[in-house]
Amino acid sequence: MTLGLQIDGLSVRTARGRVLLEVPELQLAPGTLLGIRGPSGAGKSTLLHALSGLLGIASGQVRWGETEILGLGPEARAQFRAAHMGMIFQDFLLFDELSPLANAALAGLFARPDRRRGITEAANDRLVRLGVPDGARTVATFSGGERQRVAVARALATDPAVLLADEPTASLDRGAADRLIDDLDRVTRAQSRTMVAVSHDLRLLDRMDRVLTIEDGRIARDEARAA
Amino acid sequence: MRAVWETLPSLAQDVVIAVALVVPILVIAALLMRGFRAHPLVAALLWRFRWANLMFVLLIAVSVGMGAGLIAQERGLRIGTARAADKFDLVIAAPGSEMTLMMAAVFLQPSDVPLIGGEIYNAIANHDRVEIAAPIAFGDSYGRSPVVGTTAGFATYLSEGAITGRLFETSLEAVVGASVPLSLGDVFTPAHGHGDGAESGAHAGFEITVVGRMDRTGSPWDKAILVPVESVWEVHGLANGHALEDGDRIGPPFDARFFPGTPAVIVRAKSLASTYALRSEFTRDKETMAFFPGTVLANLYRVMGDVRQAMSVMSVVTQVLVAASVLLGLFILSRLFQRQLAMLRAVGAPGRFVMAVVWLYGVSLLVAGTVLGLIFGLVTAGVLSGIVTQRTDILVQASLGWGELHLALAFLSVTSLLSLVPAIVVLRRGIVESLRA
Repeated sequence: MTLGLQIDGLSVRTARGRVLLEVPELQLAPGTLLGIRGPSGAGKSTLLHALSGLLGIASGQVRWGETEILGLGPEARAQFRAAHMGMIFQDFLLFDELSPLANAALAGLFARPDRRRGITEAANDRLVRLGVPDGARTVATFSGGERQRVAVARALATDPAVLLADEPTASLDRGAADRLIDDLDRVTRAQSRTMVAVSHDLRLLDRMDRVLTIEDGRIARDEARAA
Repeated sequence: MRAVWETLPSLAQDVVIAVALVVPILVIAALLMRGFRAHPLVAALLWRFRWANLMFVLLIAVSVGMGAGLIAQERGLRIGTARAADKFDLVIAAPGSEMTLMMAAVFLQPSDVPLIGGEIYNAIANHDRVEIAAPIAFGDSYGRSPVVGTTAGFATYLSEGAITGRLFETSLEAVVGASVPLSLGDVFTPAHGHGDGAESGAHAGFEITVVGRMDRTGSPWDKAILVPVESVWEVHGLANGHALEDGDRIGPPFDARFFPGTPAVIVRAKSLASTYALRSEFTRDKETMAFFPGTVLANLYRVMGDVRQAMSVMSVVTQVLVAASVLLGLFILSRLFQRQLAMLRAVGAPGRFVMAVVWLYGVSLLVAGTVLGLIFGLVTAGVLSGIVTQRTDILVQASLGWGELHLALAFLSVTSLLSLVPAIVVLRRGIVESLRA
């Protein structure tokens, strides 16, 4: 399953009315890899958080497929994220005390009992495909690259239609970052997943189908990249 | 409802109270954790903050342990003193303080008390309702052991016949309690008085041989040396209760003309009704005082009960303070892992799951602390009991009872409810703000 994105009149403002983000209209075809770039504080992460329904102060419409996520309550948004979105964070946010598999299969802890086995098997499969060393008792001793691959496996374990990544390569050295970019490119295109990645990493942005530049809370440029 | 409750046996009541105290914890656990597997994350967080967690657990353990240990100790002391006084149905003495007399006659604490004469003694001993009437005589000691003059019949009654060797048959023989550091065949000379002030040479020439040893009774009489009452009178240069023509005979009957006096007569009546009748008959102004040591102890327990209540209140206050610190600690710790909790919510974990993680984390600390506290309380009560037993020879056996269990479960029940507060607060924090924290 793939999901496209349709934004109409998205606005994020502070309680005092200061505009953090304004996106009058944006469409994204299913299976598109979208990069978001821009200076610090421009509103890149705010856009990503609005797309994932994490912001309570966003107004307008953010429609993923048939679902208008801003119209949902907090629990329904969480359900939508659990079912359709995989999230990757800059600093991984793993549980150091758990094994790679336990981290990657995290969603199984709160999934319906009949889905747990599937999530664990999928997590194991993603870890193998991403080349994460097996047999480790915990991820505490893993390198940054290995940790981020575990985080990617966690994001993919529920087989989501959409992958949202916030500076996924920022904490990695160049070599690890390049390997991760290859992995992300492979796992998204192979399943026609839609990906939205906030990044300053030009090599990552070069792999995207489309790149938005955000400045002062607005889309300053919208560039299509050659595949 | 109340009528039904009162028909239940006390064990059933205790079990019902315990279950009622556990139910809120189980209900919260069921509501929060149904369908989830929160424990791997909780185990991870417990390990991550293990030293801080250990401090919380110890804090809870000390609080619960102090409460449980003190209450168990008080109960053990009450049972121990009651058991020690069990053989002393009725004491008849000259008018004075019942408490002083009880401490002297039952718990062998040295004190000066007036004596009652031979005629009164004989009136008691020859009474139809009396089975045993044992005069006792104090004043001497050997080492830490008081030398108590009495009759062979009382020694048999006190030890229930469990004597290694034999009973004394002459005024220069003794039966020792289980804790007395003398063996059969040992010979000793009693000192006059007790403790550091005892005069060891006062009774030089009187050599008493140990001929019997009583089994342990769990009372201060375990450290006593029992000799014929005639022996105590004789070493003090008094008549020995018998006419000269009786020779060296010991034991009742005593001749009132040669009876030097006894501070108390321990009486065993032929029936319970007789015990009450004797108390009534021998409670005479300016002549005799008859009392039940059990009643005196009951009055003492009433005072101790007030102390126990005060201790219980102090214990609850301490536990409330600890609960407040634990809650504060939970807030602080939940701040430390708020990014991970926010990540859970960002990846789609339901709010109930996040609440379950925070709640289970707090309750794990509380349960561990409470269990450790009960063990700590049991050990503390055991140590204190040992000290009391060693100092008084009253066998105090403190063990945890339903009261302590109820106290611990009440603490657990209330604090597990309160642990929902940090769980709710965590849920109310903004996900994005927490991710950026």
